[in-house]
Amino acid sequence: MSEPAILDADVGIVGAGPAGMAAANVLAAAGLAVTVVDEGHRPGGQIFRQLPEGVDAHGAIAEPPSHRHGHTLLEEFARGTVRTIAGATVWDCKPGRVWFEHDGASRLLRCRHLLLATGAYDRCIPFPGWTLPGVLTAGALQVMVRGFGVVPGKRALVVGSGPLLLPTVTALLSAGVQVVAALEASSRWRALRAVPGVLGNLARIREAFWYGKQLLRAGVRLRWGWTVFRCEGDGRVQRAVIGQVDRDGRPRPETARTIEVDVVGAGFGLVPSIEIGQLLGCASRFDPARGGHRLIVDDRQRTSVPGGFAAGEVCGIGGAEVAIAEGTLAAHALLHEVRGTPVPRASVARALAERAAADAMLRAFAPLPGLHALAEPDTVVCRCEDVKLATAQAAAACHGDSLRAIKVGCRAGMGPCQGRICGPSLQALATGDGRRECDLPVVQVPLKAVRTATIVEAPAD
Amino acid sequence: MNDDNRIPGMQSRPAIAFTFAGRSLQARVGDTVAMALWAADEVALRQSSRDGAPRGVLCNMGICYECLVVVDGVTVRACTTVVRAGMQVERGGRP
Repeated sequence: MSEPAILDADVGIVGAGPAGMAAANVLAAAGLAVTVVDEGHRPGGQIFRQLPEGVDAHGAIAEPPSHRHGHTLLEEFARGTVRTIAGATVWDCKPGRVWFEHDGASRLLRCRHLLLATGAYDRCIPFPGWTLPGVLTAGALQVMVRGFGVVPGKRALVVGSGPLLLPTVTALLSAGVQVVAALEASSRWRALRAVPGVLGNLARIREAFWYGKQLLRAGVRLRWGWTVFRCEGDGRVQRAVIGQVDRDGRPRPETARTIEVDVVGAGFGLVPSIEIGQLLGCASRFDPARGGHRLIVDDRQRTSVPGGFAAGEVCGIGGAEVAIAEGTLAAHALLHEVRGTPVPRASVARALAERAAADAMLRAFAPLPGLHALAEPDTVVCRCEDVKLATAQAAAACHGDSLRAIKVGCRAGMGPCQGRICGPSLQALATGDGRRECDLPVVQVPLKAVRTATIVEAPAD
Repeated sequence: MNDDNRIPGMQSRPAIAFTFAGRSLQARVGDTVAMALWAADEVALRQSSRDGAPRGVLCNMGICYECLVVVDGVTVRACTTVVRAGMQVERGGRP
């Protein structure tokens, strides 16, 4: 039986990660018809990534204490009445309408209210050799291990900055991979700034201790103020040159040393995935400590577009606890609009508290501008279009230093990823100024590359 | 099948056959093309647009389009496409 091209719901949610699931659970329990579209093949998002259906591998991968929240959410989500469209790629939207490609078909979700829980993706910072097969994002390695039970390699290097390096290391250890080095670009002293934000939050302290114990047990030492300088290999990564960086992240070449590795996970923080919100017309703000451009929401998770809500990483990087709290709050606020039920004060307070704790912690891992000095003139910065750093710099010098001028001048950001990978660092790379405020990237339809037939056959609303 | 690149205890799934660039391989039900190929030690999935350099999985979550391959004549992301039995996968070219 073919599925209907047009779906109707009281509430449409984009994203089945912690924020989307938390909201869906509350709304469905209140009796609303909820439909969630998600690009993943199973609910959970990236943080609570599930194995393919039918695999019970409880305990095969070591999990931090916070993941029990994920299990609770997933169980309730599976039990409830939420309709989930998995494997859906959203390519167009307007208020109350979401067009997506699903299983080769072009479909449309119509809803009165829309919640964006679109999450985030890894921030990439180019370095020589980062295009070699075997050099992946930190998130990619976690998906490999926790989502598919596939072993990434034998000898791994983990580099980057921020709290997500730790789950990457523990996922690799669970897979039996030797973690040759784990390098945090921030200095230990800068990281101490995170401590006040964590102190008042028992769950976060417990989490930090759990990771510390896992690393200690495996004999892996997190090295502060280190990063990767380059990767080398014949057709795939075989070696990495690592070394120390100064307080701004600038490499100190005299400290370089070579290690043999067969897989590299690089994660320099996360970038909010705001494209759908942008296309809807939601107001956004450049907020470097929260990962870059993020959607603006009020104290009830309302975006600037009537009927549009947003929760979790799309409102700024903050982690799963923030996402759950904000998703729950968004659902209560939405119920208030639909039914007039009061928004529980505790829900508002919890979202505020989790966000404040996350903000305080992430300030210590704000992107280091000096890391943009890792790329060399012939380093590819835009992978889709094979644009090298020297070309991007020439474009900025000739056409101007706005994101749009650089794109027009050298095609960087015009490939199928639409600048999601190079965009967050392109201006810093091309202008040599890592502290400037980045322009808001232009979004266009289709939001993601889909088949032409999907666009031609799109159901009319 | 060779399960060297699989974590023991996480593989209670039947094996299915598919091909990559003419090579016969096996996936587990539920694998994406990208993960089945990684487990089979196929890490270079396409050639880059201008330099022709080998490229493979970068983000593994449908963002970067680096893992483009051709399935039944259609260019798709290997990391978001689930393997079907008998699937014929070819290397991707220019994105």
